Amino acid sequence: MKRSAALWIFSFGIGLYCLLPFLWFVLTSFKNETELTAIPPTLIPSFHLSFYQSALEKHGLLKYIANSAIVAGAATLITIVIGSLAAYAMARMQLAWTKFYMLALLAISMFPQIAIAGPVWTILNRIDWLNTYQGLVSAYIALTLPLATWILTTFFREVPPEIEEAALIDGCSRLQALRRVVLPLAMPGMLTAALLVFIYDWNEFFFALIIMTSPNVQTLPVGIALFPGEYTMPWGDIAAASTMATLPLIALTLLFQRGIVRGLSAGAVKG
Amino acid sequence: MRGSHRLALFFLFPSLIFVGVFTLYPIFESFRLSFYRTILTLPWLGQKMVGWENYADLWTDPVAVQSLKTTIIFVAVTIPLELLLGLGMALVMNEVFRGRGLLRAVVLVPWAIPTVVSSQMWRFIFNDRYGLFNVVLFGADTARYTAPLAEPGPALMAIMAAEVWKTTPFAGLIILAGLQTIPDELYESASIDGAGAWQKFRHVTLPLIRPALLLALLFRSIDALRVFDLVFVMTQGGPADATNVLQFYGYKKTFAEGMIGYGSAVAVGVFFISLALSLTYLRLLRESRLEGATR
Amino acid sequence: MADFEKRNPGVRIIQEVGPHSSTQFHDLVSQKLKNRDTEMDVFVMDVVWPAEFASAGWALPLDRYFPEAEQSKFLAAPLLANRYRGRVYGVPLFVDAGLLYYRKDLLAKYNFAPPRSWPELVDQAKTILAGEMDPLLSGFSAQFKQYEGLICNMMEYILGNGGALWDDARLVSALQQPPAVEAVRFVRDKIIGEIAARGVLAYQEPESLALFTQGKAVFHRNWPYAWRSANDPERSKIAGKVAMATLPSFPGHRGVATLGGWQMGVSRFSKKPDLAWRFVDFMTSPEMQKRIALATGRPPTRMALYDDPELLQKIPQLPSLLENFKRAVPRPTTPVYVPLSNIMQRYFSSALALPDTNIAERAALAARDMDRVLDLLRGAPAP
Repeated sequence: MKRSAALWIFSFGIGLYCLLPFLWFVLTSFKNETELTAIPPTLIPSFHLSFYQSALEKHGLLKYIANSAIVAGAATLITIVIGSLAAYAMARMQLAWTKFYMLALLAISMFPQIAIAGPVWTILNRIDWLNTYQGLVSAYIALTLPLATWILTTFFREVPPEIEEAALIDGCSRLQALRRVVLPLAMPGMLTAALLVFIYDWNEFFFALIIMTSPNVQTLPVGIALFPGEYTMPWGDIAAASTMATLPLIALTLLFQRGIVRGLSAGAVKG
Repeated sequence: MRGSHRLALFFLFPSLIFVGVFTLYPIFESFRLSFYRTILTLPWLGQKMVGWENYADLWTDPVAVQSLKTTIIFVAVTIPLELLLGLGMALVMNEVFRGRGLLRAVVLVPWAIPTVVSSQMWRFIFNDRYGLFNVVLFGADTARYTAPLAEPGPALMAIMAAEVWKTTPFAGLIILAGLQTIPDELYESASIDGAGAWQKFRHVTLPLIRPALLLALLFRSIDALRVFDLVFVMTQGGPADATNVLQFYGYKKTFAEGMIGYGSAVAVGVFFISLALSLTYLRLLRESRLEGATR
Repeated sequence: MADFEKRNPGVRIIQEVGPHSSTQFHDLVSQKLKNRDTEMDVFVMDVVWPAEFASAGWALPLDRYFPEAEQSKFLAAPLLANRYRGRVYGVPLFVDAGLLYYRKDLLAKYNFAPPRSWPELVDQAKTILAGEMDPLLSGFSAQFKQYEGLICNMMEYILGNGGALWDDARLVSALQQPPAVEAVRFVRDKIIGEIAARGVLAYQEPESLALFTQGKAVFHRNWPYAWRSANDPERSKIAGKVAMATLPSFPGHRGVATLGGWQMGVSRFSKKPDLAWRFVDFMTSPEMQKRIALATGRPPTRMALYDDPELLQKIPQLPSLLENFKRAVPRPTTPVYVPLSNIMQRYFSSALALPDTNIAERAALAARDMDRVLDLLRGAPAP
């Protein structure tokens, strides 16, 4: 079938385009020193783990990963909780200013970081929250709330109000209705939003760069960006560290790809 | 619903606190700081109110102007490329065939990679001795290896290539969502009317995905305006300031040189440009939605 | 460092290595100091940072640990760079000054003595390139990337032509003056235009040295550390074929080498300043300096060590290095060095990278920006 063949060719092309650069990096991480600096570069590595060892031991990669997990995890949790409350309010209470609020949220999420970074740094400096988990987490919550609320509102709107009305008639308070009826139905949407927020927080670089300067609390992106090079660039170590940093994300993404696609396009179609 | 107003406010309260303190207040503070001259390494200067002086300087600062141009070029080149490639990806992903799920998963990989990892990766690819770029172009002919990151023009192109690679999937997914809302009947009736594939594309697909295209345009433009991670890791603004985008220039002024007043002026400038762009797009979006609705 | 830990039980030194670009390293350290990071007790400073760190209140004044009597035992120029307004803020750890390295085998082949002027160097390089007919061979390798090292390189041309970067006394830029403009034009047209590979525009020290040690450059400008790598048969293809000389100048002027080097400073936010000082003292002690010199070939900063017989044996060029250091010129110390440097880096990089720029025009613009920054220093309170 000609159509099928054409589709396969295109798919292959797209796949190659998307995967090749990263695959190259991953292959590099498995080389040893001489293969790395060979000119021209060797294509297929013999499988050495020396770079991984180096990245873990010399550069303390595990610490960075732990820090990222703590910060991203906490920030995501709090963002989803607060965002859900707000989204529920927006979805249920048909108030005149909800439309404006939604647009305002969208506009706010478009602020360039540089416009916010300086004063945020000053605030955290004054309350001594620089180089602390809570400092960065607070910044992240503020950064992701707008978009998270937007997505969550879209999902909350999908929960039919009749079910809630039925619960209220049955004698539940609004909070009970929220907990027992709405939440289970909105859970997929919340998970999607949580995933998107987590990935954003995990990858965030700018604020992490200026707020976390002590290696004890630095997150992974900062660690990888500043990978030390006293006289040369340790490309092998960087490749190994990058692979380790990215594979969990890729795994997460592949597992939840349907949800992610839905979440990203939720705003597109319905918002 | 009575008392709903109060309950709504109660639910919205935490959000408002965070966004107010860490987003809205900093914007106003940036604005305020831009009217002062504050230099971190000269604390005895104190904070002197200089009114619009920082903005006047910005207007005549050739570096800032160049930075604006560089940023605009960056946005103007990457966005159309991403939309085009994204459209192509979306069209393929919209078709029903075996392995479609796998394709979708694969397409998400560039998006899932952290920007700093992607930046290091591309920096390595463009390396003048060990990079994939040179290997693909020149094979073993090492005498002809080039250093794209060493020349102003190629360095900017390298950054743009890295950006397009990473974010095309995002555009593709949004367009895909738009494609999937087009009912099959429209295509069928077009076929009955004798339309060929290209005509179907032009008269059915394109108009109906206009909102999705605009949305992708909106999100991507705003993000492209604030590109930072790529520049920080790959070129640090060089060579010869060729990749000195606005957000990086602001960072240098504020955090490296300690010229907080001036850096704030840069920040406010970038903010207003983003705002203007967002408002324009949002209006275009609303118009096209209205159009689509009345069709 | 293991030694220090042995002698001071209970103390652990945690070493953090930063990016090898001086500019990036500066941004990293200054960001930590701005964040009042208490984890960092001791840091190294490039020779141009002490004034900035002192003025901003980040470096601890070290006068009570480091009296004048002790200070005079160090080389004068680097020590001067560590002083700001009557107090001292750092201890010189490494000293550097620009040097010209060259392939003595190639120069001998063409009967050339080491060039005394830049135009002579260009002519020699052109002759050698034409004679060798090796497409991979280039005439000159140095650091012309847009970073601090660019200033070090360019200063040698500008001051070697009788010019200056800025007038510290009158607080005005000197880049738009003819000697400076001519020097920059020379570098763009003659050096990069005719004898160096374009790649040097992206080179810092490691890349430029690699080009030289791979045998692909006739002349090379670098710091003293390069001598060892160039003569190490395991890492260099030109071991034994290298010689050093002081940098050339322009006719009618004296050759100038930029003073470089690193100093150790103590953070004002350190919770253990006394212990931090002990470490600094240890690292800069005569014993450690000698050990470092013997192990790495890096020249010491204590003057007495230049007469040490062991060192003289290991590093025979020590006396000539000392002469070079005594004549090396530092970049002027000022708390606003970073903004000035950024302006100059920008100007130099764009003047060199783009062949048709009007250098005089750009110099005037850079000068105007520099004047603005320098103006900020007028009316500084008395020390």
